[in-house]
Amino acid sequence: MPSYDYRGQAIVISENDTEYKGYFEAAAEHRLVVKRCTDCGLLRGEPGPGCPWCTSLNWEWREVSGKGTIYSYQIVAHTVIPAFRDWAPFPIVLVELDEQRGQPDSYDGLRITANLVDGDMGPEKEENVAIGKRVEVVFHDGDDGFALPQFRLSGEQSEGEVWSHSL
Amino acid sequence: MADGLRGKYCIVGVGETEYSRGSGRTTRAMGAEAIRNAMNDAGLTPADVDGMLSYHGGDSTPSTAIMYDLGIRPNFYMDCSGGGSSTEALVGLAMGAIEAGMADTVAIFRSMNGYSQIRIGGTGVRAAAPITGPDLMRRPYGLISAVQNFAFTFTRHMMEYGVTNEDLAHIKVAHSNHASNNPKALMKQRVTVDDVINSRWIIRPCAHLLDCCLETDNATCIIVTSAERAKDLKQKPVYILGVQGRGTKPGGDFHYQHGPISRVAGHYVGPRIFDLAGVTHDDVDVTGCYDAFTYTVLLQFEDYGWCQKGEGKDYVTSGIINLGGRRPNNTSGGHLCEGYTHGMNMVIENVRQLRGTVDDYCPQWRDGIHTYDYAEGGCRQVRNAEVSMNMGWGTPAIGSALIMRR
Repeated sequence: MPSYDYRGQAIVISENDTEYKGYFEAAAEHRLVVKRCTDCGLLRGEPGPGCPWCTSLNWEWREVSGKGTIYSYQIVAHTVIPAFRDWAPFPIVLVELDEQRGQPDSYDGLRITANLVDGDMGPEKEENVAIGKRVEVVFHDGDDGFALPQFRLSGEQSEGEVWSHSL
Repeated sequence: MADGLRGKYCIVGVGETEYSRGSGRTTRAMGAEAIRNAMNDAGLTPADVDGMLSYHGGDSTPSTAIMYDLGIRPNFYMDCSGGGSSTEALVGLAMGAIEAGMADTVAIFRSMNGYSQIRIGGTGVRAAAPITGPDLMRRPYGLISAVQNFAFTFTRHMMEYGVTNEDLAHIKVAHSNHASNNPKALMKQRVTVDDVINSRWIIRPCAHLLDCCLETDNATCIIVTSAERAKDLKQKPVYILGVQGRGTKPGGDFHYQHGPISRVAGHYVGPRIFDLAGVTHDDVDVTGCYDAFTYTVLLQFEDYGWCQKGEGKDYVTSGIINLGGRRPNNTSGGHLCEGYTHGMNMVIENVRQLRGTVDDYCPQWRDGIHTYDYAEGGCRQVRNAEVSMNMGWGTPAIGSALIMRR
């Protein structure tokens, strides 16, 4: 059973983990993947065992572009995790990937949680975090082959409303 | 929808321990005390109670231990995994168990050292646990606590509807005013909007420290039986008109994959509960809207239809939710001020409101004689309260509701 240490936290991915093991195996190869239903063809942002739209249990991993838009965010001013105290305040973002936006229903999307990081893989400055900004995946390489997908600002033109709280 | 059980079951006893930060005892000891207090409140002996229900998050003591401590021999018991919004759902399960002939009188309890042992905010035990399963997509990013799990919904709602931190602070102010008239409350100090927005940030942009509930050590108990059985008990029964729980948004734990993410479970639970109970919003005199954070209150008021979507900020700042207003909310002070109980105290408070015997600072509250002077250190009884509604919150995706009549 692979076990890793990341920022003082024990990360345990069991051999029989049919949901997340493949996700992190791909991350170790610097590929961002989601599950694709091999019956109806729809992608899903949460890598569960079944297709939420057609109930098929048949799936495959599918690499995505890693580009997306910040859908929501939080700035963690106070963390309860000791190993994150040197990061606070730090951003956590909910990223909506470019693939399958607004499908199959208008409010649906592939949404993934990550930190918004800067060029040094540290937390992005709070004033640069906003809903609507464009982002792209980067991979933080940890010890023993563990890699964590993160996102950074891509600098692309944002789409639609850009919103952030006043500082 | 079936309404055959409307008024057929009632709550006949409520009880709790002290709300503290450092109980100095086990969840077993507290659970036994809370159940005993509720039995005494109802005028029931252990031989009269033949059902037990509890909920927990791996932080409590099971019924099978406490039944020994109190000499209860259940014909039915279940210890359910669950957090917020379990209270109302378990009231419904108790009714179902009685209706099915599994038991006659059911004690529902929740016992937690939520401050001194397994902190409900995640500090300590929970933050130190290895990361596996769905947490692999969250905790490596520093996302672990309840307010963090809800914050994507809160932030997005602020963007879509222009809610400000001042709007949210009004909820804490109202509940703190109520708590100042509750001798049991952990935080009795009245606060102002400025106090809230000047308290330190927990999560920007949606939660200052005073927007968050109080981690508390406590146990609580509610006893459910039939209206028939209630006739010769000590208290005026409080009748259950309808109950729903735990109703869920599409996606469950992964509801952020769908949308709109600023919509909460009340959108689905609301129409069902009013239909089932046979009352309208206008009939309700007092609400218990789950205040894990100020924002959970605002979102539920919107999606249960107390106002239009986006107008929650106007509802909570209008004075409606204050004692003396049209429909006071969380008159005990709720989770923000009385103490965090995973929802039990808000149902207990509404039972007492409907009895007319809220334990405020009025000298004759036990006799139901109140001054209705809501100044600090005074009364918190709602005048002539006939119908109450509880809205339990589990996550943005999970909710329960309970409507009761005196």
